[in-house]
Amino acid sequence: MFTGLGDIDRLFGTMNLLQKKLDNLYSNYGNPSAYRWQFEETLPRTNLYENGDNFEVRAEVPGIEKDSLNVKIQGNYLEISGTRTSDSPDGYKVHKAERGTGSFSRSFTLPADVDSSKAQATLKDGILYLTLPKAEAAKPKKIVVG
Amino acid sequence: MDRKQEIVRNDDKNLEKTRQLYEVRPAVDIYENEDEFVLHADMPGVTKQDISVNLDNGTLFLSGVRKLPVQGAPGLEEFYDIEYVRSFSVPQTIDVSKIEAELKNGVLRLHLPKSEVVKPRQIEIKTA
Repeated sequence: MFTGLGDIDRLFGTMNLLQKKLDNLYSNYGNPSAYRWQFEETLPRTNLYENGDNFEVRAEVPGIEKDSLNVKIQGNYLEISGTRTSDSPDGYKVHKAERGTGSFSRSFTLPADVDSSKAQATLKDGILYLTLPKAEAAKPKKIVVG
Repeated sequence: MDRKQEIVRNDDKNLEKTRQLYEVRPAVDIYENEDEFVLHADMPGVTKQDISVNLDNGTLFLSGVRKLPVQGAPGLEEFYDIEYVRSFSVPQTIDVSKIEAELKNGVLRLHLPKSEVVKPRQIEIKTA
């Protein structure tokens, strides 16, 4: 089958190449190298925590003023929308423009109804924090064993 | 394989879960005019104390750590605590003493003024 040492050598060479490729594949495993802000393509990343009587929602909204953010709540429906305007200074040459601009709208269905009258929203360091108290009917109840 | 690869991370075996702080490149905009360079970087959730800007030997190094307190059980989690890291080569002509940095709404804004020597100068032509 093998006519000479050269063939065997070549075979091992190919195997080494494959091995290197596999090594590279695994070394990148689980590393979110693609974790980048692409405002124009994606929506603000959002976290939702359930904290007893409240839902805590956080969304990454860097460079957005309070006035250009809108939060709408109805029952268990939550909508976050806003506009990011360009903050590029006038009369400057642009070398890099990675930070997108434009408007976005994102809606969620929360696991339970919330009391929209008691909802609170704060904006701090480019992160929108929402505290949404659950509606009475959806709150966890303690049952006393009789 | 000549190198032992841990496909399954050790974290999964530990009962106590500690999160690794991933390094992430922040998105930046860079502008230039005759007087200065301006750099805007998105770093949502990073506070002033956790940000560092270093200019050393022609390299501008930005670092910002985001530490957000977690309350309650996560339902949906799309972002987490990370370190924003990015470095840039800057020309030696930057006036280091006049660099200004400002952090507002999760956006870091840097002003890197050019030193007087390299600013373009209009040369007046004298008529004889």
